[in-house]
Amino acid sequence: MNQAQVTKLVSKLRINVAAEPRRLRSPKGPEGRLNKLRKTVTGLIKYERIELNYNRGDEARQYAERLISEAITHGDCHKPTMEIADYWLLEKELVHKLFKVLVPRYENCNTAYTRMYKAPRPQYSRNTEKAVLELRGNPYPPLVNKQHNNRHLIQNILLDAAKYDYRQAKYAEMAD
Amino acid sequence: MALAIRKSTFSILATARCIVPREFRGLSSLPETKEDVAQDVAKRSTGRKIRFQNPALEYRHVYPEFLPDPNPKWRNTLREKMERADMLKRRSQIDIPEFYVACENQSVTDLYRTYKTLTYIYPVSSPTSFEPFIRVSGTGIISRTGSVAHYSLDEGPPKGSKLVSDDTRYIYVKLKPKPWLERWERQELKGVANIDEHLKEKDKVRRELRKTPWEKYDLMKQYRKTIPAEDQNEIWGEVHNQLNQLRLSRKKMFKKRPVSAPKTQLA
Repeated sequence: MNQAQVTKLVSKLRINVAAEPRRLRSPKGPEGRLNKLRKTVTGLIKYERIELNYNRGDEARQYAERLISEAITHGDCHKPTMEIADYWLLEKELVHKLFKVLVPRYENCNTAYTRMYKAPRPQYSRNTEKAVLELRGNPYPPLVNKQHNNRHLIQNILLDAAKYDYRQAKYAEMAD
Repeated sequence: MALAIRKSTFSILATARCIVPREFRGLSSLPETKEDVAQDVAKRSTGRKIRFQNPALEYRHVYPEFLPDPNPKWRNTLREKMERADMLKRRSQIDIPEFYVACENQSVTDLYRTYKTLTYIYPVSSPTSFEPFIRVSGTGIISRTGSVAHYSLDEGPPKGSKLVSDDTRYIYVKLKPKPWLERWERQELKGVANIDEHLKEKDKVRRELRKTPWEKYDLMKQYRKTIPAEDQNEIWGEVHNQLNQLRLSRKKMFKKRPVSAPKTQLA
């Protein structure tokens, strides 16, 4: 049983957080682990959607969520938050993006700021799970299309074509 | 019954007040005034900060023992609720003072803690509030690492340690030469005046190598050690009324206490 620390007040993350952090192998130890995650978080903030290994994606997701929630709660006039943003975002123009684009975007958001999907594994690959990590409200077309009735979905187009072929074959049989 | 009627009429009126202007707005083709929109935006933007503005959250500094263990393996909402009720009951029977010094077993949440305090001194100068730090008499050092206060029992540095300057905030301590109980040089103590005198060149090199400057940026490490504000709001909302009453009653008791000079015991 440990006493909770009270000096810092953090807002609750809207994603599931494992009890223990994952160890990402690095010759530089815990510092190297954070360096890896910094690269990933920077990439996520920059490109808004990235594909990567699941383990690293899941870890980086937690840090990205924390970074955004810190930015929302304290704003850009808070020095420690600015230092944290400076550490986590390797490209400094992204600090502006964090405070001027992402904070207004997520201020009234009631869900998590990021979304993660399991991506298909490349065939004959090593046993690495792949994932797609993205910021919510990104400008790209959605990855998961829930409109099953959409006629323009590629699956539906193919199904329609198959049905059409089948019907044509039947008509040809009946005509004979 | 009368209450119910009054309540219902009031609520009807209130809802009507909410609905009416909207209906008129809906009928008219005029756009909403800019002021309304601006107010809405302002309200929404502060919506998140409100969670941090709860004044009861300040109790976390005074009663940290009411917060549960942050490790999710140990969490159990029902058990925590029962424990808090139990702690309140205990406090209504015994006057448990608020501790600010991390004593030996202070790192344990409340019910599992055994108190080992050497002295507890009622502050003479300010009878209404307890002083932020307990003065420890006898053998021992007090030092501060940022926000955490350390107290180490005999051996190593303590015997004959001198308090160098007695500020209300910081009490500086002079260390005796090695051997020490702990490697004090690696802990970035703020309350120690003369630590560099006792270090060899090797120790200084090792201290530099052991530093972990990245740890203050490890956001998840901090997160895993704290209880988030949303959870704390629930906890303090549950107990802060009773805690407040306990504090007030203790203040009253303190004022009623007969003032007398302590008798010196001669062995």
